[in-house]
Amino acid sequence: MRRLSSLAWRSLRARPLRSFLTVAGVAVGVAVLFASLSAGAAMDAAVERAAADEMGRAALRVEALEERGLGPETRDIVAATPGVAVAAPALERRTYLAAGLEVAPSDALPAPVTVLGIDPIAEPRLHDMPLSSGRLLLVADTRSALVTSALADAEGLRLGDTLTLNGAAAPGPQDFTIVGILSGEGYLPRAGGRLVIVPLAEAQALFDTGGVTRLDLGLRAGVATSDVIAELEASIDTEPYLLAVAADTTASLRRGTADLQATLLLVAAVVLFAGAFLIFNTLSMTVAERTREVGLLRAAGTTRPQVMMLMLLQALALGAAGSLAGIAVGAGAAALTLGWVGSTGSVAFGGPDLSPAPILLTLAIGILVTLAASLEPAWRASRITPIDALRPGPATSAAGVARLRWLVLVFGVVAMAAFAVWPRGAGGSTGPGTGAAVGSGLWGPLVVYGLLLAAVLIVPRLLGPLLRVAAMPFGMFRSQVRLARSSLARDTSRTALTAGALVIGLAMVVALGTAAQNVRRIGQGWLAETIPGSELLISIRPVAIDGEIRDEIAAMPGVKSVSPIGLFGVPWEGVRQEAAAVVGSDFAADGRLVFVEGNPASAFAALDAGGAVIVPESLRSEAEIHLGDILTFGTGPEPTKLRVVGIVAHSIPGDSQEAILVGWADASEAFGAIGADFFAIRYQPGLESSARPAVHAAARSYALEPADLDRIRGTVGDALDRLFHLLDAMALLAVVVAGLGMVNTLSMSVLERVREIGVLRATGMSSRQVWGMVVIEAGLLGLASALVGALVGVGVGSLLVAWSSSGLFGAFEPPWLSIVLAVLFGVLISIAAAIYPAGLASRQSMVQALQHE
Amino acid sequence: MPSVQPAAPKLQVSLAGAPARRPHDGPILEARDLTKRYTLGNRRVEAVNGVSLSVHRGEFVAIMGPSGSGKSTLLLLLGGLDRPTAGEVILDGEAVSRLNDRETTILRREKTGFVFQFFNLIPLLDVYENVALPFTIAGVDPRRGEAAASIQDVLGRVDLVGRERNRPDQLSAGEQQRVALARALVTRPAILLADEPTGNLDYATGGEILDELWRSCDELGQTIVLVSHDARAAAYADRVLVLGDGRICDEIKLGRNADHDARPLIARLAQLGL
Repeated sequence: MRRLSSLAWRSLRARPLRSFLTVAGVAVGVAVLFASLSAGAAMDAAVERAAADEMGRAALRVEALEERGLGPETRDIVAATPGVAVAAPALERRTYLAAGLEVAPSDALPAPVTVLGIDPIAEPRLHDMPLSSGRLLLVADTRSALVTSALADAEGLRLGDTLTLNGAAAPGPQDFTIVGILSGEGYLPRAGGRLVIVPLAEAQALFDTGGVTRLDLGLRAGVATSDVIAELEASIDTEPYLLAVAADTTASLRRGTADLQATLLLVAAVVLFAGAFLIFNTLSMTVAERTREVGLLRAAGTTRPQVMMLMLLQALALGAAGSLAGIAVGAGAAALTLGWVGSTGSVAFGGPDLSPAPILLTLAIGILVTLAASLEPAWRASRITPIDALRPGPATSAAGVARLRWLVLVFGVVAMAAFAVWPRGAGGSTGPGTGAAVGSGLWGPLVVYGLLLAAVLIVPRLLGPLLRVAAMPFGMFRSQVRLARSSLARDTSRTALTAGALVIGLAMVVALGTAAQNVRRIGQGWLAETIPGSELLISIRPVAIDGEIRDEIAAMPGVKSVSPIGLFGVPWEGVRQEAAAVVGSDFAADGRLVFVEGNPASAFAALDAGGAVIVPESLRSEAEIHLGDILTFGTGPEPTKLRVVGIVAHSIPGDSQEAILVGWADASEAFGAIGADFFAIRYQPGLESSARPAVHAAARSYALEPADLDRIRGTVGDALDRLFHLLDAMALLAVVVAGLGMVNTLSMSVLERVREIGVLRATGMSSRQVWGMVVIEAGLLGLASALVGALVGVGVGSLLVAWSSSGLFGAFEPPWLSIVLAVLFGVLISIAAAIYPAGLASRQSMVQALQHE
Repeated sequence: MPSVQPAAPKLQVSLAGAPARRPHDGPILEARDLTKRYTLGNRRVEAVNGVSLSVHRGEFVAIMGPSGSGKSTLLLLLGGLDRPTAGEVILDGEAVSRLNDRETTILRREKTGFVFQFFNLIPLLDVYENVALPFTIAGVDPRRGEAAASIQDVLGRVDLVGRERNRPDQLSAGEQQRVALARALVTRPAILLADEPTGNLDYATGGEILDELWRSCDELGQTIVLVSHDARAAAYADRVLVLGDGRICDEIKLGRNADHDARPLIARLAQLGL
């Protein structure tokens, strides 16, 4: 050995099992972290790509707020604005291919397509339209169309084929000739590859409208975007509109992914923290075990910094090995995560990001956390005095007690690392979903994390009573239980450390189970509370509410009511507020909506009469709205004023928020809503099953897709389940890491008690009983940890639920199944961790044990 | 009996860049009014109470006393392993009590060697590496130059040539203690401190260790302070300090004798009632 540092490597090699388990534990934590970071980076890249596709080379986008689109006057103003070089209008609508509608009434409708009407000159100047065959649209084109390769492959279309598109009722289906096929899925991500591009005039004729959905603007060289924005805001007063720059599009798309990334990171932080426990525990055991050696080194002239360096080198080796292994495993986990999640909204994810940035970041965090976790044991080792080398008997007491307070340092390091990598835009959404699992911004996760840390720090104080409670199920093994409890109480600090990792892992599992159950229940309850019917007929484009559709279906046998509901945006306080047009009398008759303030009957009547609005509790709290207030909406030259006639616990959910409720008169006259997006069907009691087939057939003939509310609830539940299962699997890894730590702790405990075990055997205890004693010790620890973890988990979970949906705290429901499963899993992991150490203990030779010094 | 002068220049072990310390004229070790008190439960214990002594270069001094007399505590104070409550220790001209922990550690590294009752070898290291430990700690490569030569020399002296690659668990108790002795001697320290070095050995093996200690003193001029309750071990010394209740009760001059006859010492101890 040429250098003192070699002693560090020898020490690791001398305990191969302990070193391996520690590396494995760190690797698991780092793998989850890398999977989160890599998947997150891939999501960010997908969002950037989608945003770039969406905006192309446009610097600004003027978007219609109303369903009827931007009128000609607004388009002229925009095109004439100083600084604007190109103004590319586009009309976007969804419809069905006529051929696809020729299906049996009992079959589901085919997938719709998105039709984009463009200016053939202006659009290609701002958006790349790479072709795989054919040509782009020309000014002279009339009934010509471009399709994406994805659509062509799906529908068996080729160049020159005729494509029939369903339009508005008046023009009816119209034929287009395919003149070009765009490569890939096209530049409109939300179309999902099913994109048809036609000349703008043809699209307007097809859908019987003169408006456009958006105007993409290219600016003259040297013109500042902010100047053009100021000009537009000063000159457009014809109608409400949305103004977006590329960053806004990115932010909007990122809203769907940021909360998911944040939740993944929160769980990763917990698993990493469990890994840090392992390092802390392992090094504490090493210090205790090598007290005499360290004392001798000090007596021989090793300084305190040298001793500290030896310990930190060991930690660094474990951390680096674990981090590298974790990154390798994490790459696969990232791919699995992205594959499992698939997509959110219109953004489809590709493969994980394996560039140097996330790899180096993960490596740095892994090593940093390892070093933070090893500082206290290393410092303690350096305080060992030379005299400690000379004490007879067990040397563990001289190494001092591991101070759990130092875990706060590890907590701080992990929190800082999380802050550095926290996804932009996380914590902004309200309503059930991934945002529910995170809370507001970074503070929510920090509070959750802090609660978990606090639980770990309290465990040592509760250890005695906890072990007594945990011992109850093992009552029939009285002598072994007594010995097991005394062994656990021998070093409360070590016991608490081992239990702590298990506590936080199980707490996270129960918390996620709590959040999942309640979020699912809230989401499903939401529909039941806000939709006046048991079934929805969904349209991909607004349907006139006074047309024949509603009358025909309402007249069918067994149908009690057909209530149209339209979703659209309204300009309020400078932002887009989601709104829903409803028939008040239908809600009154069906007894829907839970009123927090206001009289339901008069509120619904006021909606139908016009000039009224019902707001959800979430908006009331946010904007401090009161019953009777007048809300002003910026609808063009003359604002629209509506009086608040009711405040409800929950309202119809929109894309990103709950909708305010208005009557159809206000919706169409003031806000430009042109039709219903779905019809809520209420059947006569007892006639639902007989009436359904005819209703469904009629609906499909009008391109309306029936969706049973139970099926919608199931779909919502399935999507949430899918996500929460992923999070649960990650949280369970924290429990596995804790199990690895338990193997270490129990093995050390057995080695410390060699002589004691020899005495027990000599006195008459069988090797099977010795085995049982160690297993019971693990079982006690597992059960005690599980009880604390379940309690803490329910608390954390209730916080997550409270953050996600205000006002529902009173309806909180404990997830009994999650709790029972978590407790069982915790005990099983603990017992599994005890098998090897128990075998060690039971196989010891009595003679050697009694001679052990 | 006159003190014995060292036969050869000492090998000084220093940190890289730190100047080697010059040997000091006068006693190699001095204790002035040394006191050590500590609290045991709610009792105050005075393990060492106002002890003053001096040890000259090349002397072999033994400290004897019954169990609880404070002899081991005194040895730890003399070697800088523990700090006195009062008083001073001067080791080769350095006032140990005025040094901070780092300075004390380095002084210990350069000036002292220790042999303990329980061998205290590093189980992960083999014989060569255990003996080389003082060099390794100081950052000197033990496989080259003077360091390697010193190690080979001392292994030869303790008759462990050929066992360099063995680990402690492959050695007998006597061999382990010889490794510990070799480690203590390898840097030719100013003073070697031995605390019950034969306490864990059988009669014959213990004798071998004591013989080696005496030879290193007699032939190489190594200064030795030995603590023992065993009169046979103490009989190897030039003089014996008898400790009782933390104080020096008596000093018995034995002189440098190759026969190490313990009978005069035993007789004198009997007169003292020990």
